[in-house]
Amino acid sequence: MPRMRGMRRTEIRQLRPDSSGTADTERDPDLAALLARVARGDHQAFELLYDELAGPVYGVVRQVLRDPAQSEEIAQEVLLEIWRTASRFDPAKGSPPAWALTIAHRRAVDRVRSENASSRRQEKAAVGHDALEDDVAEVVAATLDGQRVRRCLDGLTELQRESIKLAYYGGYSYPQVAKLLGVALGTVKTRIRDGLIRMRDCLEVDW
Amino acid sequence: MKVIGDGLHALSGSYVLDALSEPERESFERHLQHCALCTDEVRGLRETAARLGLAKTLDPPPQLRPRVLSAAYRTRQLPPPVAERIGLERRRRIPRLAAAVAAAALVVVATLGVTQVVTRHQPGGAPTANAAISRVVTAADAQTETARTSAGGTVTVVVSAGQRAAVVSATGMRSLPASETYQLWVIGPHGARSAGLLSRTGQVGPVLASGVASGDRIGITVEPAGGTASPTTTPVIAVPA
Repeated sequence: MPRMRGMRRTEIRQLRPDSSGTADTERDPDLAALLARVARGDHQAFELLYDELAGPVYGVVRQVLRDPAQSEEIAQEVLLEIWRTASRFDPAKGSPPAWALTIAHRRAVDRVRSENASSRRQEKAAVGHDALEDDVAEVVAATLDGQRVRRCLDGLTELQRESIKLAYYGGYSYPQVAKLLGVALGTVKTRIRDGLIRMRDCLEVDW
Repeated sequence: MKVIGDGLHALSGSYVLDALSEPERESFERHLQHCALCTDEVRGLRETAARLGLAKTLDPPPQLRPRVLSAAYRTRQLPPPVAERIGLERRRRIPRLAAAVAAAALVVVATLGVTQVVTRHQPGGAPTANAAISRVVTAADAQTETARTSAGGTVTVVVSAGQRAAVVSATGMRSLPASETYQLWVIGPHGARSAGLLSRTGQVGPVLASGVASGDRIGITVEPAGGTASPTTTPVIAVPA
């Protein structure tokens, strides 16, 4: 999400804490309206939508794939997919950013998994994980949304936090996460769910 | 008959993070079609995952924009999903068709029970009930049981000992004639107490039940319209939570 939007939302919350639920429900009405126009083939609406979603989409894909050239290629596929399937967006099922980022994350993970079929990348990625994350993290700290997410991540247990970061940011499957953390499969499943629930409450996600 | 247990339900988090294998993902998605509670949870967790993603927003390379835009305008878009909507409507009608299936009485029993049905979760329903339902469903100690009922369809019960509450939902139970109703019961050590009447359409909930005590059980029976003071039919399925 662009910085200005994030700041405005935060201000509304602080001024009117009681209405946070309402503010959340009505979040991004402009994006939903843009998507409806995009579904009708409106080029101008797609350009506006691109400006809103390209950053988040590229950020998620880059976070998972790390390689800039590959990330650019997948981000392009995702943004085209958004154009192509705009008519399938259903505002009752989620927000426009969640819809777009679901597509983006799944595409990036699909790319990782197909490469992992040769099992070569797994070790490489495991080794390179920390360095690459720090690289991207600097940009993150600058945004309010990023600070809030970071603060909520800090509120999780170590196992919850690491499980979620490896799964979402690292693009690892939960059996791979279990192996990396040296814990049982069932433990990882549970920690990922518990941790996400805690994140949801901490971020005041109202869906 | 136990259809799903905590194992499958606990996959919701891994599902929204794309951390499941393909076969697991498919089986979880099949499960989602029958589990309204899981669908609600997935929706909230998916928004949460999106916030993790938004926090990583990065300016894309400038050359991406003209490339995406020009590629888009050379790409035909998908039409809106009209056929899928019709499919959904047909699926909703199935409970009524199921009325043809003769069924005795009840339904499902879980180990915790209810003392009171607080409210129904319906469009326009009280937001506080929705929040309470959400708290039970997402409680760390939530136990989920889904069972087929002798009245057709399935019933899902989520109980949280910590919240002292349960959430009950059902789909596909046979639609009852106006002379009958579904009734929810608390079955404790001293017998069954009515926990309220449920829709006779066979589509229930999610319904929140508060004041649940450990060791209680939840039952649903078919009773005469208006309900009765104690169950007149016998539960035919018992599922330990």
